[in-house]
Amino acid sequence: MPKVKAKRHSVSLDMTAMCDVAFLLLTFFMLTAKFRPEEAVTITPPSSISEKPLNTKDGMLMVSVSPEGGVYLATDDQMAREFMLERMANRYGIAVTAEMKKNFMASEIVGYPLGAMRQVLNMKPSEAKKLSKGIPIDSANNELSYWVGYAKLSNPELKVAIKGDKDSNYKVFADIIGTLQAQNINIFQLVTGPENKPK
Amino acid sequence: MAEIDSSGGGKKGGKKRSKKMSTKIDMTPMVDLGFLLITFFMLTTTLAKPVTMQLNMPDKTDTKETSPVKLSETLTVCPDESKVYYYQGIPTEAGTVMQVTNYSETGIRKVIADLKAKVGNNFTIVIKPTKKAKYRNMIDMLDECAITNNKRYALLEIDPDTEALIKRSGK
Repeated sequence: MPKVKAKRHSVSLDMTAMCDVAFLLLTFFMLTAKFRPEEAVTITPPSSISEKPLNTKDGMLMVSVSPEGGVYLATDDQMAREFMLERMANRYGIAVTAEMKKNFMASEIVGYPLGAMRQVLNMKPSEAKKLSKGIPIDSANNELSYWVGYAKLSNPELKVAIKGDKDSNYKVFADIIGTLQAQNINIFQLVTGPENKPK
Repeated sequence: MAEIDSSGGGKKGGKKRSKKMSTKIDMTPMVDLGFLLITFFMLTTTLAKPVTMQLNMPDKTDTKETSPVKLSETLTVCPDESKVYYYQGIPTEAGTVMQVTNYSETGIRKVIADLKAKVGNNFTIVIKPTKKAKYRNMIDMLDECAITNNKRYALLEIDPDTEALIKRSGK
């Protein structure tokens, strides 16, 4: 009588389906992920215990403050951006060529005084970064006020977020708040990094 | 692991057939890679997510009377670069004492918590950041208000009287 051998099953199983799922998920996450918005300068926001995520549903107007105190404005609303350029150029008598407009729309960030606008917009966006030193907000020449005003005129739903570097001076922030309050914008989202709640 | 199954079926004798290669290959490393990438992307995206704190400022055009706040129920804090000044009362009065503490857990947080326990629900914090204060200091102060569960606070510009008081205290 021959010995009874236990039937051996193969341990390798069909991985095709699992592989499909893995790559489907990978593709999905990669396509739905939003790119981090470009930044003119590196800004490290301070941390807070707040847990509210940034609400970008109805469009966002982001005022950034660099460590040196330069003020930058960015918005994800393309219509508002086009409108802003048109009105600002009109106000300061700058003739905007198609090339300048293309350069303006290519970069999300505005961070130069109007006096330098023609020069900046005639350059490639990558070169123009050096000239982006911030929008003037002093009381004599408050250009931020106009930019924000026109953006709000184009899309009143825009939410205002302020992203300040942790080492920027408080005075700049106070000036921005003052500028925005003068336009009756009283609700601000302060962008911060996450931090654990103390017990 | 990566075996290619080349069993051509167990036919005995018969016609000689060309060996058929199976198209089955081991997918395990590919699945590993897929899930590794998914894990990596998911972790990096959630970690970089910014959070916001909402700041509501009073409407300047609104002239409606607001409810008065008692001096004894108010604490004025002046965040400076590395320390926090605080006092109760009117800065120009001689009896007002300017005190100083730091941003630590036993510093300003304890001061606020103690006073809140003494005063009760009407406790109001007035924040007047000094000229030297950084943006971080103001956020820290707003954070302290949130940690100690204070809904009543106001963010104001510093006035010359308060600055004089800080100078007088010499701290």
